[in-house]
Amino acid sequence: MTVLYSCPFVPAEWIAAHGLRPSRVTVRPAHATAPGLGVGVCPYANAFLQEVSVPGNGAAVVFTTTCDQMRRISERMDPGQPVFVMHVPTTWQTTAAQRLYRDELLRLGRFLEGLGGRPPSPERLADTMIAFDEARAKLRDARGALSPRQFSEAIAHFHHTGQVSLPANATPASSPGVPLALAGGPMMSHHFDLFDLIEQHGGAIVLDATTTGERSLPPPFDRRALRDDPIGELAGAYFGHIPDAFRRPNSRLYTWLRDAVAERGIRGIILRHYLWCDTWHAEVQRMREWDLVPVLALHAEQDESLGIRTTARLQAFLEMLL
Amino acid sequence: MNRTPEQISLHEWDRLHDDLVAAGLPQPSYGGPLSRHVPDGDLRLPRLRYDNSPAALRLWNFLLTEEDRLAAARTEGKQLVGTMKDLGTVPVMAYSSPSLVAFYPDGAWWIPCVMELSAGLLEVADSLGIDESFCPVRAMLGAFLTEAHFPIPDLLTCNVGATCDDFSAIAQRLNGLGYPILWWESPHRRAPDPGEASVELPGGFVAPEAQVAFVHDELERVRRALAHIAGRTITDAMLAEGITTANKVRSTLDELRRLAYAAEPCPMPALEMLIAEMLAIHFCSDRDECLAVLDELLAEVRSRVDAGLGALAGGAVRVFWVNPVADLRVMNMLEQAGGRICGTEYLFCHALDPIPEDLPPMEALARMALADPMTGPTADRADRICRDIGLFGSEAVVVSQIPGASHCATEGAVIRDTVGARLGIPVTEIEVPPVADAMAPTIRNRLDALLETARARRETLSATHEPVRTTT
Amino acid sequence: MIGAGIDAGSRAIKVALYDDERDTVVATDVLDQGVEQVALAKGLFEKLLEDNGLDRGNVSRVVGTGYGRSILDFVDSTITEITCHARGVRRVSPGARTIIEIGGQDSKLIRLNPEGAVRDFAMNDRCAAGTGRFLEMVAARLDVPLEKLGELARGSHSPAPISSMCVVFAETEIIGLLASGSAPEDIVAGVQTAIVKRVAAMAGRTMDEPVSFTGGVAMVPGMVEALQDALGRPVSVATDPQMTGAVGASLLAANR
Repeated sequence: MTVLYSCPFVPAEWIAAHGLRPSRVTVRPAHATAPGLGVGVCPYANAFLQEVSVPGNGAAVVFTTTCDQMRRISERMDPGQPVFVMHVPTTWQTTAAQRLYRDELLRLGRFLEGLGGRPPSPERLADTMIAFDEARAKLRDARGALSPRQFSEAIAHFHHTGQVSLPANATPASSPGVPLALAGGPMMSHHFDLFDLIEQHGGAIVLDATTTGERSLPPPFDRRALRDDPIGELAGAYFGHIPDAFRRPNSRLYTWLRDAVAERGIRGIILRHYLWCDTWHAEVQRMREWDLVPVLALHAEQDESLGIRTTARLQAFLEMLL
Repeated sequence: MNRTPEQISLHEWDRLHDDLVAAGLPQPSYGGPLSRHVPDGDLRLPRLRYDNSPAALRLWNFLLTEEDRLAAARTEGKQLVGTMKDLGTVPVMAYSSPSLVAFYPDGAWWIPCVMELSAGLLEVADSLGIDESFCPVRAMLGAFLTEAHFPIPDLLTCNVGATCDDFSAIAQRLNGLGYPILWWESPHRRAPDPGEASVELPGGFVAPEAQVAFVHDELERVRRALAHIAGRTITDAMLAEGITTANKVRSTLDELRRLAYAAEPCPMPALEMLIAEMLAIHFCSDRDECLAVLDELLAEVRSRVDAGLGALAGGAVRVFWVNPVADLRVMNMLEQAGGRICGTEYLFCHALDPIPEDLPPMEALARMALADPMTGPTADRADRICRDIGLFGSEAVVVSQIPGASHCATEGAVIRDTVGARLGIPVTEIEVPPVADAMAPTIRNRLDALLETARARRETLSATHEPVRTTT
Repeated sequence: MIGAGIDAGSRAIKVALYDDERDTVVATDVLDQGVEQVALAKGLFEKLLEDNGLDRGNVSRVVGTGYGRSILDFVDSTITEITCHARGVRRVSPGARTIIEIGGQDSKLIRLNPEGAVRDFAMNDRCAAGTGRFLEMVAARLDVPLEKLGELARGSHSPAPISSMCVVFAETEIIGLLASGSAPEDIVAGVQTAIVKRVAAMAGRTMDEPVSFTGGVAMVPGMVEALQDALGRPVSVATDPQMTGAVGASLLAANR
């Protein structure tokens, strides 16, 4: 059975270790609001609901509480489809929060067993974790050889299939555009066109800090700790290290961004947020006031193709930086 | 003095106030004519209609002088605790210590309405990048930055997790501006798994014991922080006493609601009842006085009910109201259209339930906090709404959408569908901005349509002698 | 040589010709936008050249800007209106540090560094409630010419609060206000206030002065005063505010 999800705090290796197929969904845009949803629904949440609610797809769906709208969208799922809502703590600095996350992983495990999964032995879990760790390392190593879009799509593909598939025609950025970071929540499939649009206007995304991209990759596992306490190491790597805007406080996101900006010579941040996404929208002005590098805010609606509005903003931003 | 209950204008209240004072009405220190608040900037007051009882006068004066009480508390050397997104838990803990005063910074969301946007709080929020796509509670940011509406508290706590992303983002923005916040988490309340140890929460929900234990530990962190600023330990005995007093407020409010919402004709208008309920959250910065205010209001309602008197005409359509409104005038509007409030769920029904006194106090508070309707599925909230509709005999439901609030996009349909399927009564949704004057015809149109539908249904049921369906 | 700028806006096409040798904007013209946008732009450009005794051979480069720039197939390059307005305003207001441009369909706030380069910008091109479109709507609703709105608003003592984000629903509010007897001057003042507040919100908490106001809405009487009130600081209207985008494009065409 396939287990669909979108949140980076759901460890794919945990699902895989239970003998099920994890698949982090790359959502396609929806062209209408799902029945029962009103004004103010996030376009991503709306699209995710429609993406995973295909009748007869035989898949289970895992939602998390990192986003209130996604949490509530879970209630709109068909009752016949297995659904799990995982509480990912918003607070992160307390041992209680860390313990809760671990407990939620165990509870998720019981849900997976209910789907026919088998609880993994520590050795099996460790082996699965190593396999995913090595795959992620392979992805990271490939960054320099791929174009920014190819790299981000490779990450998305890996999350979707569990396999690292690098394009045969790997094409690193043809010209060194203005190095930029792309930040924000999850991307939909058509949003990858942004990479090309940015390149056309003289930029290059050297850091995909969206929920779909590099930011959401856990760090390499501590191989010794992994053998001693694999689930502890799994919980620690995911919960303890993925920076995100939803966390309270979310200071770690800024620390991580600051370090990444310095390390990669980033000269501007493009912050994408969905209309009605409070979590990322609230960071726009704060990031501007932070004044580390210039910030461009783009907000995305439901089925918006990257039209005139986005192009005008990107072009003006790059004119400013060039 | 015998007075026929009715709703009167601010101007009429001034004349009545003079008469009452001349007749020897005792007033608290914060008493006086309501109109004296208008020069302070409360420009909405002349547009509202008020119950004409001395109890209502005291209630309004109590509400409108909270700022003065907070300033006085600060001068007296008390420590102020701002309890954000916390609909009734931490204030109970804070008031257990005599040197602490808790208040609810989120209450600033009414300032744009009461001051008719003159305070500029929403503009301040705009300048921080928190625009009208966020909930009107964004006004709170303006209140912090201008420091014009409450003293900056000595401790700020904020409930996060399975609560509300709007508020969480707004609080994070505040934190990012340099205001330290003690974040405490509520997990997404769920049904216990098979075989999982569970507990019953106040209000009837059931939750896993492990979740209660988590919230218990979170509240212990809060307790330690409160003790630190209070300069003394907050013992279980102190908490137990605090719970007992909070329960006095809650039981008074419970009786008030049962009487007011069930009686015919309506003995107390919607606006006064809304304010009374809001007092349950944080006692309007004076727990003992809050109890006195509610006691007086309850006594007034009792005497009206005993005498068969109402503040509104008989036969008004009985409306259950979901979610608080940003513009207080809309509550008057319902009554002007021929409706009356007959049951409410203002997002904090758990703060109206008694806190268990047969449990260790922190366990009791943890269970109560987890009963927050926001932390669980909307279906739970809809269940409780249906139960309360049955209790109060409501004939129609208004779901007031809060512009920008993240939960409103999805919950309206769930509540509507559940109420429709179980009870068959009409439901309408309205959106109420902080100053709804320009939207008044639109809102009134919806209310009129709802009430007409309810009246027609009443006539049909009466003709067929069919009882109102209630929750099974 | 001549640098030419063509601002293909949503409501009007503007053309400017800049003489590099004399450092002078020699000619400008404007035409209402239409369906055949490319033909209209090209026609206006060629007419302006002809009226000034010039031809295409005198022009070193043509830069297109504005909403419709991408379809101007006869220009040499396109530059966004952000950069062009910045350049154009600095031409007429050399020390300007903040530019507010309100057009028919969008509004922009542009921050310049002391050297005049764009430092940051914000745009509202999604919500017509912060643009000239909103003024046009209220003028039509109240049956008052656009140029008389300012005079009408000056008679207001209590601007009506308009809460809607969207001009379509704001129109509903205006209908509601009229139905409830609100004075037209209060409604107009309320609309002006709503527009400038939306623009002010783009500024965040800080704004460097001097502030220059440009775009078609800057020509509507009463708007600069409303903007000053909202910003709490002096604002000056750029010379020939409708043309700053085209002028800036012509300067950039001449590499100035």
